[in-house]
Amino acid sequence: MRLAVCFLLAVSGALAQDLTPKAPPQRRTVGIVNATIHPVSGPTIKQGYVVFTKGRITAVGAGPLKAGDGIEIIDGRGKHVYPGFIAPYTQLGLREIGAVRATRDMNEVGAMTPEAYAAVAVNPDSTLLPVTRSNGVLVFGVFPRGGLIPGRASVMRTDGWTWEDMAVRRDAGLVVAWPGNKKAKDTHTLAHAFAEAAAYLRKRKSDPKLRVDVRKEAFEPSLARKRPVFFLADTYDQITGALAFARRNRLRAVIVGGRDAPLCADLLKRTNTPILIRSIHRFPKRADADFDETYRLPAKLEAAGLTWCLASGERIPNERNLPYAAGRACAYGLDRDAAIRAITLSAAKVLGVDKDLGSIEKGKAATLFICNGDPLEIPTKVEAAWIDGRRINLSNKQKVLFEKYKAKYGLK
Amino acid sequence: MRSVPWLLVLCLVTSGEDPPNGPEPVDPAFHALVGGDVFVRPGEVRRGWTVLIRDGKIAAVSPNPVPAGARIWDCKGCTIHAAFLDAYAPVQTDATLDAQGLRKLGFGAAVHAPAKGNWRGAARLVSLADKPAEYKKDVYYACGFDRKKRGKDGFPTSEMGAIAVLRQGLYDKKTKLPLAFDTENELQALRSARIATAFERTALLLGSGLEFRRLHAIAATGLPVVLPLRFPPAPDVASVSTRESVDLRELMTWEQAPTTARRLDDAGVTVALTAAKLDRKNFARNLGEAIRHGLKKDRALAMLTTHPAKLLGIDKELGTLDPGKRANIAVRSSPSLFAPDTPFRAVWIDGKRYELQAPKPKLDGEWDLGARGKLVWKKGKVTRDGKAAREHTVRGQHVHMVFQGPLVLSGIVAGDTIEGHGIEADGRRFSWRATRKAIGETAEPKTKPKTSKTKADPVPETFGYPFGPYARAALPKMRHVRFVGATVWTSGPAGIVTDGEVEIRDGKIVYVGPRRKGQLGAATIDVSGRHITPGIVDCHSHTGISGGVNDSGQAVTAEVRIGDVTNPDSISWYRQLAAGVTTVNNLHGSANPIGGQNQVNKIRWGVRDPNGMHFLAAPPGIKFALGENVKQSNWGDEYKTRYPQTRMGVEALIRDRFHAAQAYARRNDVDKVDLELEALAEILAGERLIHCHSYRQDEILMLCRVARDFGFRIGTFQHVLEGYKVADAIKDAAIGGSAFSDWWAYKVEVQDAIPYNGALMRAVGVLVSFNSDSDELARRLNLEAAKAVKYGGVPRAEAFKFVTINPAIQLGVGDRIGSLENGKDADLAIWSGDPLSVYTHCVATWIDGREYWSENTDGEARKTIAAERRRLIAKVLRSPRAKQDRKKQTDGDVPTRIWWMEKFRAARCGVCGGAR
Repeated sequence: MRLAVCFLLAVSGALAQDLTPKAPPQRRTVGIVNATIHPVSGPTIKQGYVVFTKGRITAVGAGPLKAGDGIEIIDGRGKHVYPGFIAPYTQLGLREIGAVRATRDMNEVGAMTPEAYAAVAVNPDSTLLPVTRSNGVLVFGVFPRGGLIPGRASVMRTDGWTWEDMAVRRDAGLVVAWPGNKKAKDTHTLAHAFAEAAAYLRKRKSDPKLRVDVRKEAFEPSLARKRPVFFLADTYDQITGALAFARRNRLRAVIVGGRDAPLCADLLKRTNTPILIRSIHRFPKRADADFDETYRLPAKLEAAGLTWCLASGERIPNERNLPYAAGRACAYGLDRDAAIRAITLSAAKVLGVDKDLGSIEKGKAATLFICNGDPLEIPTKVEAAWIDGRRINLSNKQKVLFEKYKAKYGLK
Repeated sequence: MRSVPWLLVLCLVTSGEDPPNGPEPVDPAFHALVGGDVFVRPGEVRRGWTVLIRDGKIAAVSPNPVPAGARIWDCKGCTIHAAFLDAYAPVQTDATLDAQGLRKLGFGAAVHAPAKGNWRGAARLVSLADKPAEYKKDVYYACGFDRKKRGKDGFPTSEMGAIAVLRQGLYDKKTKLPLAFDTENELQALRSARIATAFERTALLLGSGLEFRRLHAIAATGLPVVLPLRFPPAPDVASVSTRESVDLRELMTWEQAPTTARRLDDAGVTVALTAAKLDRKNFARNLGEAIRHGLKKDRALAMLTTHPAKLLGIDKELGTLDPGKRANIAVRSSPSLFAPDTPFRAVWIDGKRYELQAPKPKLDGEWDLGARGKLVWKKGKVTRDGKAAREHTVRGQHVHMVFQGPLVLSGIVAGDTIEGHGIEADGRRFSWRATRKAIGETAEPKTKPKTSKTKADPVPETFGYPFGPYARAALPKMRHVRFVGATVWTSGPAGIVTDGEVEIRDGKIVYVGPRRKGQLGAATIDVSGRHITPGIVDCHSHTGISGGVNDSGQAVTAEVRIGDVTNPDSISWYRQLAAGVTTVNNLHGSANPIGGQNQVNKIRWGVRDPNGMHFLAAPPGIKFALGENVKQSNWGDEYKTRYPQTRMGVEALIRDRFHAAQAYARRNDVDKVDLELEALAEILAGERLIHCHSYRQDEILMLCRVARDFGFRIGTFQHVLEGYKVADAIKDAAIGGSAFSDWWAYKVEVQDAIPYNGALMRAVGVLVSFNSDSDELARRLNLEAAKAVKYGGVPRAEAFKFVTINPAIQLGVGDRIGSLENGKDADLAIWSGDPLSVYTHCVATWIDGREYWSENTDGEARKTIAAERRRLIAKVLRSPRAKQDRKKQTDGDVPTRIWWMEKFRAARCGVCGGAR
């Protein structure tokens, strides 16, 4: 039977396909017991339990759990429980195979396309998703790319029958690629676009019959401060320029990139601006810079007392390696708790979904996983995972191919 | 045959005077330059002597009275020397030499050299007269490293390709002339010298101005340098952000460039200065800068006259003012040699005078206008009774001024008087006359202008290797050391030894095992708590390759060699050292089914000779590639015609070339060398290892079968992401497979790539390594090894072999490096903890028993760098030259070609823009 499934997968796996059923809604209450619980929002619980019902965490605590009737008990002895990792910046679902144009849906035509929002183009059957979630990355922020305003970001689960099922938040905020210091004209263009949108929205308030402008409409949540603006900004000029722009237009800024953030940490702190570090696995900006400059960026932001989170910096298909970027930052000065926070609770905060996600707390979504060791260490394996209490299938195409070719060689 | 029409043309140009349109003028051709300071030759000045010119030759330089009949040219206050000689005046095809432009700079003759291509053509020395005379033909053959921009424009598209073209041309006996290599940087200078040496050819270097970066190596070649006086513009450090992005190497280059001529001269190199390769407007300024930076004026004069004359073998005719030589003379209206602010008044070429600057009236001083007050001329500005003129012009000897009123004054200057007419506001005309107060009567005493200091701030005279950050004055010492107390990952039969010891001496490992008791005399280093592993070996890298990783100009480029273009300056080397990497396999890209020859390097950061990084023990290899890249699937629609466009064609082409190589190996005329077939024949002879970029199982199996049919063993399959599907075939046909740990889904052909690939291939018996193919990923190969533990459960010590002994064996150097065993090279890395843990970082890296990197030395270097940056940035902000440059550079987004910077950017497979 297993072999039959394998062949089915292999034969039809030409392009994006996830051929296994999606996880059904949680029916029974689940209690994970005897495990080391890492709530992130609070201290680690050495021998503890987590209980969740109908997709929500109902109890977290130390010691043994008084089991009620109908609870599915999972013995987590020797295991660890973490909130699902959140990859805060990726194009997962918008691009299947980089080299094939037909599979690229992340860059709309035009310098400013705020009307484009990511969730609507995320392919729930992408082959990349099962691979990503099998390593504990259960939620991701998906960002359109290209131009000055690529569109709006969305926050998605890595499992769901449709993009609607997957979406945690369809509109997580406007994405603005802040121009480099030599492109003053673009800065002007951006300012103009925001002003036009604001004027349109005011007019529409007083005149509801005004024809809808989908492009200008898209500014509304960010102009009303209901959503942040994600400014892609790496250099000192970009960051300071974006912050000044945000202040002038009363926007809630998030800095995405943040390479030079330590140079203006005071300003970021004063304005309470969070930073989404896009990657630490990149080159230092100058040949004479410290070789570990990028590795130490997280430790520097942490020391400066800033709110920050960390993206994997990997290519889209390897978003599964997110925890290793966090671990790598620990080799260069970052506290381990901060590293975990950077890919869980802080990421949830930066994306605006921390009410439901990012930690193991009563009332939050049961989006969590069990692993057999420190999940920042590469050999550690994720053994079970839940999204909103739904037990996720951790199989993927790669594991199936592994089994198939073990069979070819008669390996066990 | 082809040269005959050329000669005819030359004859017409040189001897064919047009018949006079009217009465024939008679030129007495007898001139006397009187009263100047005559530099007969560098270092020999005759003040106030006369230079006699007769019939286009110098007749005499003497203090004697001027003979009757000579036309007298008053040269009082002038310097007179031989006209300059430019040994390199590149001219694009169909263009003519800009004689006038060069004359303005004081040149009288120049080498007209073709400027494009690799084998550019013979150069000839011509005069810079309006009707140029050919002084000497075939002075040298110009060669260059030009490359095509795109693959569809043909071969070569890389520097190594250009070198291959030059080498093949020498085998084909293209020319017997001396070779003149047009070099873009100091590394190309050394590469040129290697070509010349290999073929025992006389050569000269058409320099880049960057020779100071590898001065001693260039001096050691013994080749003369035709040096352009070009200096990079000052880096922009005038804002918080630009200051952040300016690199130390760029700052240092800016500071040091004006010292090049002096340094080369001091190192014993024959230097001739050229006006090529720079903005001519800067020639005089830059010459002044070079002099301010210590170049002696006499030496500068020699570099512009006697040196090029000698170099070109024309010193009997040109270069000095000795009687009998051609009357090629430069006259400058300044008593000082090389006064950058005063232009040349005239240049004489073969006795014909070219006036460059008519003498301007000297107006500075106080002029008495009588009843109409006092005029004061100062620095080109004029005031009357303290009020500035609204406008004024000087045309020849005529001056015109408008003062408040309006009052208009026009006059003609004659020495210390001006005479002319004026018009009052009411239209009344009047005549006026002004006389200059004699010097001494003027209120202000004459002071020397302060603008240019005669000597520049001192610059650092030594800077180690490579030029830039983290340089070292000498290689680290080879040491005798006992490392004790660490956990030792041997990657050998001894496995992992806890509380172990490694002893190294004379660059070799002499003991590995449990910690021994007793003192052995060697310096003992306690490394308790640390882990020691063999230095990491990266089986697939493009680090430090100059001028293109791919030559995509043709489907087969077996003749190009990565080893020809090793760039030891790339900062990526240093960063990889900081990650425990000691040996890398530098590969050609994957643009062609049969690519270029590889180069295995040890990261000997700080070598003097760039090729000092080469790991000579490694057998030669070559890159092959299959699949999407070579059939140009992702190159765009313009690339649809090069064979092959299918995997079928790839196979056919490879087989065809091997048949050609077989025929070549059997050829009768062994003197005929074809570098491409030579390399392929070496594969067939088992002397060259194939490292083949490959993804899909079909293509992998195909090459296994080709190898079987032609009877050779493959070195490695690279990437080999579907290797797990045909592991049994690989095991039989190749030494091993070198894979990405977990890359997939970036192209159609890697959809089935799985991270279990390494474990599966290993289980079947393939020797497996993991590589980086990326300067960034190379910095964490130890963690890539951990992925073999995660995916497929490879035991930890075995997994670590994926980045140590296994790639070493694949590269044919398993007996020298890759494991910690007695007798092997002392190449090792010391880690803060378990090398498979993300929490671990590298602490020190040793190669050949030398500590090439450590946290401590890195920390020291950081301090030095910070101090140097501060010093240089402050210097740029003070520098007037920098200020001029900054003004010129404010064009916003217009990119300038940055010739003075070697690219530090990561080398990437150019074909697929990073998607391998």
